[in-house]
Amino acid sequence: MVTVKLKPMVEILELLKPYERVFVIGCQLGSGRCKNGGLREAFKVAGYLELHGFKITGVKSPGGTCILERIDAPEKSLIKEAESSSDAILSLACGAGTQLIAENVSIPVITGVNTLFIGVERERKYFDEYCIACGDCVISETGGICPVARCPKSLINGPCGGAIAGKCEVDPSIPCIWYKIESRLKELGSLKSVEKRAPLKDYRSCVYPRRLVLEE
Amino acid sequence: MKFRETVNSGKFVITVEVAPPRGTDYREVISALEPLKGKVDAFNVTDCQRSMVRMSALSMAKLLLDSGYEPVLQMTCRDRNRIALQSELLGAWALGVENLCLMTGDFTTLGDQPDSKPVFDLDSVQLIELARTLNSGKLLNGKELNGKPSFFIGAVHNPFAGPELLQTLKLKKKIEAGARFIQTQPVYELQVAREVHELISSLGAVPLIGLLPIKSLKMANFMKKLNPTSVPSSLVEGLEKASNPALYGWEYTLDLARGVSEFGSGVHFMLVGRVKELADFIDELRNNKGEGN
Repeated sequence: MVTVKLKPMVEILELLKPYERVFVIGCQLGSGRCKNGGLREAFKVAGYLELHGFKITGVKSPGGTCILERIDAPEKSLIKEAESSSDAILSLACGAGTQLIAENVSIPVITGVNTLFIGVERERKYFDEYCIACGDCVISETGGICPVARCPKSLINGPCGGAIAGKCEVDPSIPCIWYKIESRLKELGSLKSVEKRAPLKDYRSCVYPRRLVLEE
Repeated sequence: MKFRETVNSGKFVITVEVAPPRGTDYREVISALEPLKGKVDAFNVTDCQRSMVRMSALSMAKLLLDSGYEPVLQMTCRDRNRIALQSELLGAWALGVENLCLMTGDFTTLGDQPDSKPVFDLDSVQLIELARTLNSGKLLNGKELNGKPSFFIGAVHNPFAGPELLQTLKLKKKIEAGARFIQTQPVYELQVAREVHELISSLGAVPLIGLLPIKSLKMANFMKKLNPTSVPSSLVEGLEKASNPALYGWEYTLDLARGVSEFGSGVHFMLVGRVKELADFIDELRNNKGEGN
């Protein structure tokens, strides 16, 4: 999922200063899953805005704000409802969802979150980055564990000299991912897969903005 | 004798680390090395070590050359992509820099410019491959060079880092990629030095055992933080008891160097403070080995 973090309320208030009527839109996918921009948080923020004198014209959190038909279905369009009733939209969806709203309405769209990373809820309340969408996946060779996303230096030929006692020197509160890779490859009996020198990465695969075009 | 010839000759090698200045005034750094002239085989010039901004290693290497010291240019992957790395290496050769020590490099957030953008386009293994590709007269993209280098390539190894199997595998990859000598992180026990010497030799490179004199209990604790298993408790106890810990740490290092000289290929001193003493010690070591300069 794409994880987000709610911006501090003072910052949201400052961004919304020029407006009176505000429609709050969350997202039940990433933002909701990581409890920083789902329906619950959208209502919380809306309540706070009301306390500060804003008129809340609506609070909605579709199951996927980055899916056009979820926010603009022919029979019931969330963004048309928001647009016709408000001076601005406050979006708690990730950067992608927020932009999709923004390019389909004529009123200003303000974001109430910072979009963080593609990750998983490794254990309750702990979200870790697992993928940087590099466009050139190597995890089949590394025991299904990504060293590109989970090593700060994105090392693909093995650990650096700062991997001490299982910890990453960049942030000792996280494990060196190469320890996990080694033990997983041992378990699988497939250490051979990292024996060859990894070729240089082709960074053309992650020059943005990237596109995906489906063939007919 | 040039550094590469010394290494290849099997003679005991002594290298010393030099950090470029924070600023433009390099004269003091170079004049401080005077007692070591003709005694040390080469001087490793660090590349903004610990991610702290210093004068460029290449400039410093050239300044050393001009003053009659043979440099080993250290280069990391932290600040340059493959375009910059190739370009810098070609320039290094043109300026007379023949020896390289190539590594991934410390991470940006650990230094004094933690807000900078980390590059890491390549890793240490790939950087070694890159240098070897230039040696073959080609760029990474296969284009022919107009004039090619012939770098003598080295790399680094930390015997205390893990996981063990993949660290050894990575060391092997570095040597297969073209590293001819390996300088290690500081070692404080002869047994560790012997083991790492054997490991590196068995993989086909010349090991230069890293030595960093400990000046105080505080520094010992810092080293323990970096590499918890590297500093033995006997050394810590000795520092605690010593009336002059700095001297104790210095003599401890020299003893270790004497020990390594019995079986090893060379040592790499990572801190020069006592340059004159180091020069005298090198004379002693060379005389004992019958290798007077």
